[in-house]
Amino acid sequence: MSDVNNGISRRSVLKGAAIGGAGLVAGGSLLAGCGKKQVTGDVRFTIRGNLSDAGAKIAIAANDAYTKKTGNKVISQAVNSDDFQNNFVQILQGTPDDAFGWMAGWRTNARADAGLLADVSEQVKALGSSLSAAAIQGATNPSDGKQYIIPTTYYPWGLHYRKSTMQELGLNPESIATWDDLIKLCEATQKKGLVGYALGDKGGWEAMGTFDILNMRLNGYQFHIDLLNGKEQWTDAKVVEVFNYMGQLAPYMNKNVLDISWDGMRDLLLQKKCGAMMMGSWFANDFLAKSQEDYDDLWIVPFPEINPEHGIDSIDAPLDGISVAANGNNVEGGADLAGFLGSKEGIDAAVAAGDTSIYISSDFDTSSYDAFNKQKLAVLGAAKNIGFFLDRDTRGDFAGPVVGPAIQSFLKNPKDLTKILDSTQAQWDALPAL
Amino acid sequence: MKTAAVNKNVRSRRSLSRNDRFTLSAFVGIPTLLQIVFLWAPTLITVVLSFTYWNGINVSDIKWAGFANYKNIFFGSPVFYDALKNNVVWLLWFTFLATPLGILLAYQFDRKIKGHQIYETIFYMPVVLSLAIIGIIWNFMLQPGGFVQGVMGRDIGNAISIWGNYDINSYVIMALASWRHIGYIMLLYLAGLKAFDSSLREASAIDGATEWQTFRKIIFPTMRPVNVIILVITIIDSLRAFDLVYIIYGTSTAWPLLNILAFQNFAGQGISMKGAAYSVIALVLCVVPILVYLRNVFKEDLQ
Repeated sequence: MSDVNNGISRRSVLKGAAIGGAGLVAGGSLLAGCGKKQVTGDVRFTIRGNLSDAGAKIAIAANDAYTKKTGNKVISQAVNSDDFQNNFVQILQGTPDDAFGWMAGWRTNARADAGLLADVSEQVKALGSSLSAAAIQGATNPSDGKQYIIPTTYYPWGLHYRKSTMQELGLNPESIATWDDLIKLCEATQKKGLVGYALGDKGGWEAMGTFDILNMRLNGYQFHIDLLNGKEQWTDAKVVEVFNYMGQLAPYMNKNVLDISWDGMRDLLLQKKCGAMMMGSWFANDFLAKSQEDYDDLWIVPFPEINPEHGIDSIDAPLDGISVAANGNNVEGGADLAGFLGSKEGIDAAVAAGDTSIYISSDFDTSSYDAFNKQKLAVLGAAKNIGFFLDRDTRGDFAGPVVGPAIQSFLKNPKDLTKILDSTQAQWDALPAL
Repeated sequence: MKTAAVNKNVRSRRSLSRNDRFTLSAFVGIPTLLQIVFLWAPTLITVVLSFTYWNGINVSDIKWAGFANYKNIFFGSPVFYDALKNNVVWLLWFTFLATPLGILLAYQFDRKIKGHQIYETIFYMPVVLSLAIIGIIWNFMLQPGGFVQGVMGRDIGNAISIWGNYDINSYVIMALASWRHIGYIMLLYLAGLKAFDSSLREASAIDGATEWQTFRKIIFPTMRPVNVIILVITIIDSLRAFDLVYIIYGTSTAWPLLNILAFQNFAGQGISMKGAAYSVIALVLCVVPILVYLRNVFKEDLQ
């Protein structure tokens, strides 16, 4: 990494020298990160999604605020989010934009280790106490202790439902405290002709949310993370237990789990066809896009306790943020923009443009939150340990190609469980060292 | 024709003018160069990479893995056998059902049965669509919340399970792929039959051969060049199948094919050279039977 950084500062020094004042600029870039140094030049920013999306408008508003503050122009381009993720490595090795929204965890750390992402530790340091220790911890690459992402927003995975549906059924999900309560709730919902526990897994990742929470509830956060990093075995009786619990939910699921993806799950809830649905709250924007009424009807509660030893002390809450490409034209500018987007001014600009995300910064005033966002915060606050979701907590060549099909096979044929877990472990063992 | 002459003796090559030689070498050289750069080089690199561990980023990180990727696929990845099964089912379905149906249709239409132009158009229509488009159309029709489900009064909660129902999904996918394949084969065969000397058919009719005898003993053997092309197309199309299934299932390997597995291991977050190994397996399965078959055919021709 240090090679890369040296290369970058050398390059920016040369560029600065061309503009003028060679000695001064060289001195300045040696002091880079000392806080007050003026960063100049156009910054290129990738917006993941369509320009017409609400998210793009929010990003552009925040970028404009940066331009207003620093005078540096931000050139934004929108890229299909899936394409960007699928081709991430190729894009970053080519001529990437300087900064872009990205995801903390393995997806950042592994790319940082490969030298594709720029160190933004200075910017994280500059944000100071506005970031909690846990947020900084989450954004830190364990292999070198540096940060390669400025953490900005996060969202909880929990049981979502519609208040009106539950009211009509005479049920109260707020009161589900134990596994038995959840099963009873599913049973009661199903009796009224609705889907008890909505699940889709056509995409191969949706059911990972259920696996994650069951594993954390039954075996605790540490076991979950250790399992995903090869320190525990998939053939362990504890993992078998997780799948047994998933099997207990199966009778209450829709009969077409492998036919629908996350959007099918969303539609089940949107169309009032189900009771509980386990999902990350990010889909709530689609409810808001449908109507304010639908959005106001949406609620989230934490997944109930199973093992009293662990209570509800853990949750999947993927941490999102801004990363900077090491190969960008203006790495310093990208880092400066990333730092701005994580700061109070950046957040204020985004929120003014209609962002309903939960910002991790303590500078952010949560009093303006709507009821659903306050509930999201409450759900997050109930947990002490934060997972990032299976496909960000483990290796990319394991999550999608191995765990995804394994869970699908289980949902297809629960009797094959032993075989499935044996093969999952065998495939972990066959992975090359990183 | 010219190349044969060129091979035969050196003198005739000398008789080519400088201009001819330039044209010829440009005609042969440029496509060859493009083939080498854009096809052979990547293929060879893929083959080499399939014996390595690499995350696709720094060339210096490439580590020799020997047969580890293949061992992993053959002994550690049950999904590989699901994919192989699906590819083989695809091949068998095409070979014994879709392709013969296409040939049969072509044969019937060639006899100018009543309204054959209408039928031809109907069967030809799907051929103008790519398999990806066919995937989009039928996914839109059949998925939960889709058109057909809606017409049947099924909402997303109680939609009939098709893509996720492993008793029927293979047949549905085969049917969709055949929808296009039958028309394609029909068209190829029809073109062949147009060139067929009708006096042969008349002669066999005079000799009192039945329709089936005429087809089996006269037409089918005479159509051998077209048959070879159709067989090769059938094998290649079955083994390179990707787009239709990718549109329906994405990179999730809910209904795996060899090429989907290759793609899944190349794209996305975890790049692994297991993907290269999958590609090589698909390539070998595709190319070897065809090479063997073509060699036999050409050998017979020479004799």
